[in-house]
Amino acid sequence: MAEPFEPKITAFVCNWCTYAGADLTGTSRIKYQPNVRVIRLPCTGRIDFMMVLKAFTRGSDGVIISGCHPNDCHYTSGNYHARRRWMVFRDLLEFVGIDLERIIFSWVSAAEGAKWADLVNEVTSKVRALGPYRELRQLAAVGID
Amino acid sequence: MEALQTKAKELLAAGTVQVAIGYGKGTGNARRPLFVTKPERAADLIVDAACTQNLATYLTKHEVRVMGRMAVVAVPSTLRSILQLAAEKQIREEQVLALAVIDGQVRELATFEAIEEAVATIPDAMSEADRNMIDKLSAMSVPERRAFWADELVRCVKCYACRASCPMCYCERCTTDVNRPQWIPVASHAVGNLEYHVMRAMHLAGRCVECGTCGKACPVGIPVHLLTIYAEDSVRRQFGQRGGASAKLDYAMSTFKPDDKEEFIR
Amino acid sequence: MARVGVFVCHCGENIAGTVDVAAVAKAALDMPGVVHAVDYKYMCSDPGQTLLKDAIKEKKLDGVVVAACSPRMHEPTFRRAAEEAGINPFLCEMANLREHCSWVHDKGAATTEKAIDLVRLQVEKVKRDRPLQPIRVPITKKALVLGGGIAGIQAALDIANSGNPVLLVEKSPSIGGHMSQLSETFPTLDCSQCILTPRMVEVARHPLITLYTYSELEKLDGFIGNFKATIRRKARKIDEKLCNGCGVCQQKCPVKKIPDEFNEGLSFRPAIYVPFPQAVPNKPVIDVKNCTYYKTGKCKACEKLCPTKAIRFDQEDIVEVHDVGAVVLATGFKTMPVGNFSEYGYGKLKDVIDGMKFERLASASGPTGGAIRRPSDGKEPQHVVFIACAGSRDRLKGVPYCSKVCCMYTAKHAMLYRHKVHGGQATVFYMDIRSAGKNYDEFVRRAIEEDGVKYVRGRVSRVYEEDGQLVVKGADTLLGAEPVEIRADMVVLATAVQAQNDAEELAQKLHVSYDPYKFFAEAHPKLRPVETNTAGVFLAGACQAPRDIPETVAQASGAAVKVAGLFSQPTLTREPIIAVVDRQPPPVFSSCVGCFLCKSACPYQAIEEEVIKNRNGDVLKVVAKVNPGLCQGCGTCVSTCRTKAIDLEGFSNEQVFAELMCI
Repeated sequence: MAEPFEPKITAFVCNWCTYAGADLTGTSRIKYQPNVRVIRLPCTGRIDFMMVLKAFTRGSDGVIISGCHPNDCHYTSGNYHARRRWMVFRDLLEFVGIDLERIIFSWVSAAEGAKWADLVNEVTSKVRALGPYRELRQLAAVGID
Repeated sequence: MEALQTKAKELLAAGTVQVAIGYGKGTGNARRPLFVTKPERAADLIVDAACTQNLATYLTKHEVRVMGRMAVVAVPSTLRSILQLAAEKQIREEQVLALAVIDGQVRELATFEAIEEAVATIPDAMSEADRNMIDKLSAMSVPERRAFWADELVRCVKCYACRASCPMCYCERCTTDVNRPQWIPVASHAVGNLEYHVMRAMHLAGRCVECGTCGKACPVGIPVHLLTIYAEDSVRRQFGQRGGASAKLDYAMSTFKPDDKEEFIR
Repeated sequence: MARVGVFVCHCGENIAGTVDVAAVAKAALDMPGVVHAVDYKYMCSDPGQTLLKDAIKEKKLDGVVVAACSPRMHEPTFRRAAEEAGINPFLCEMANLREHCSWVHDKGAATTEKAIDLVRLQVEKVKRDRPLQPIRVPITKKALVLGGGIAGIQAALDIANSGNPVLLVEKSPSIGGHMSQLSETFPTLDCSQCILTPRMVEVARHPLITLYTYSELEKLDGFIGNFKATIRRKARKIDEKLCNGCGVCQQKCPVKKIPDEFNEGLSFRPAIYVPFPQAVPNKPVIDVKNCTYYKTGKCKACEKLCPTKAIRFDQEDIVEVHDVGAVVLATGFKTMPVGNFSEYGYGKLKDVIDGMKFERLASASGPTGGAIRRPSDGKEPQHVVFIACAGSRDRLKGVPYCSKVCCMYTAKHAMLYRHKVHGGQATVFYMDIRSAGKNYDEFVRRAIEEDGVKYVRGRVSRVYEEDGQLVVKGADTLLGAEPVEIRADMVVLATAVQAQNDAEELAQKLHVSYDPYKFFAEAHPKLRPVETNTAGVFLAGACQAPRDIPETVAQASGAAVKVAGLFSQPTLTREPIIAVVDRQPPPVFSSCVGCFLCKSACPYQAIEEEVIKNRNGDVLKVVAKVNPGLCQGCGTCVSTCRTKAIDLEGFSNEQVFAELMCI
């Protein structure tokens, strides 16, 4: 029997809220599924949409994007800029046929260790149920005979 | 048409402008850009329904700029381009003069303020054909849309005609030209092509003037303009701002409102 | 070719218990560019750091990955070690194997695999690290202390005594805070005012302390060493320079029936008032909401009678901007309103009061002169029930935490009551007695054993009024949960300590984190208890968590030392994690096209215009330039830039891209 599918989840998180929140998850010893790989950035404002695209084209089955709640940004407003970018990006991704179920946005503060664990678990389980994200990877073969 | 020729002739003769950028006769019924520097050649300028290319693209070109002040024959989207270029500090008022063709009338618009007033009266520019196409695509399921774009984008040969024809793609170094890191693969394949076109649409969101020139420029007929127009429309729907409305910076994607409304962030 | 060293820490059992550290080190050796990989028990220990330093020297490493705890914990430690070994500190990265891996996953192959991936990400990153030089910026050697309670007073005095000027801002008309309202203090029963007022006066007299009462922080811009604080000085409607504090205005004010905040509504005050006799400054303020002149346009009795002509009805708020180098947050707490307790009569039963009201009753300077009189009819209560944990440790009330001070002050209240009403009976309902602290448990024992306070372990389910008395229904859980019913004359609730109502708003103004209960968050729960996540902003007192006076004072002194330490440096060294616009040789000069869309994206106005000219002074190009003093390194401009002309040091496009390439 084939091995059960274990999804690859890439998370883009800000240093001050979500990364710290995930640290708190650790300090509180709350367990979650090990499928996530965290890319630490200073702020959600630093998350270039190109990185998200790259994560998918490099084989991520799901992407988590998370930072400080509105008003709580360590840099005052990076998360607000990021939010606008996501609002348009998400719209556009859907328009080109990318499955939005695989890209999850969340605000996780430095105090929300439990929320981080819940988020990772929920996304991992959901993406596991959706199966591998073959569609984008298959695109690479389109037009090649 | 005569009014335009007369106007261009006068401006060139008086030395108000050194070059008039307009449309001339191309192959068959096609129109091509025409650069008129001598008053007597103003008669070669054409205005008709086939003149759709956004000539604002040439306003940022070094070779054109060195000629002196430019008059540009402007369809509505060209006017928006001028304002957006001004907002992005790519053009100054004394460098350009618009010969606006609105409802068959030619109007000389010599200041950004005058252009802003004219633009304010122009309704949002998405053409009926584009609107129908976007509606058709929006009605599809996600896999259907993915299939549609996969079929289209696989034909892209990365000639960058879309980029070259776009007045807002004036960057000296495009993201595609960056190789450390190589954001966009050099080779043309469906994944890289998708990344390129999504990137371009994201970069035009809030700046696109919906002229559709990129789509017309595509030698293999991919409707790439639908992506930028869709992104621009997304900005307008969500933030109530549009590209090219003002010569002062009002770029939706580098500002925010604390109460921007979304429903997908948990 | 890169020469990267990987150091995998066991952290005792913390990492090694779940992750196969030897396998991680072995796998690291196969990663391109890695020339050295070991695992060790405690990398942060002295031998661990020596191991790292020796390897850097011997193996000529040009990049180091320490796979251990969170970089938020030990990144500075290992960067310093790398620097000591002779390489640039910014060539050291950390893979978070503890908080993000071993502590949150079960032992197994998947966990070790994740650990290897985490190391791989950092190896790819470190290979693209550039040596960076710290940025030096000047420091404004003046501190802003927000809050004039005992925390703010102590912090202000300690900072000023270290030779640095302080701006102390208090929102109410006088400094003193909650402590000035207290009667006596546990465990020594010395009078609160007697120990506090000398400190208040010292603040007022200190040549290095500028005191702004009746003032609030509007906003805080800038960064450590270089903040700009906008302060609103609310109009007192008094010329403070002319006023000599004689008090005639207070006596002559025709409005007399305003509940007195200082006495917790147990007495009344006029519309022009000094909050309490020992107030600092001893200058009145006109309560505009209640003043007859502001309501009807007539009266001005105070103006007519003021001997120094100090009344200024037309005085406006003043908004000032001050340059400060550090901020101490000492904004204190509030207690849960009695109205929150439906079971104890919603605050409608006059004789069900909270601890602060009891303090005023017991205080020699209070409305009763220190005699215990119940509010409804002024009679001396013969039986008083004290209910501890009113709200605290009660999830349904939204306060799962322990308010910490209530056990002690409840014992004190019961004791004071027994001292003042000799025949009276005091009963305390409690959940647990938490009296850890020097001489604290002895104090509680004294209340029970010497002063005859009756302690009943159990919760009170209901308090209601019957025949002019309060009926307290509870249970004694030490007697098999036997129902207890007591007829009492007065009930005192030890209400939960909570964050101030505006704590969240203030935290957002200062960009400091806060916990779910809106208490400000410290940078590290154990090792950085007085710092916040925002460099240059420090914490003191109950704005961080419930605290008693000794702890508050200790923390305030701690925060003051942090400020003094910061100010003792000639300039400030900042992490060079900032955005940089690229520069290239002519004729390109920069790949920036000068659209300046990044300018409006920057939260710090750090993006400037640089005009590039040729020898003749002709403008060749106008491009963006990042002011390194202002940039905080968020990177919002970087992802806005279409030409990728801006990049962020430490989190560059190449680095993130490389990380993504190995996922």
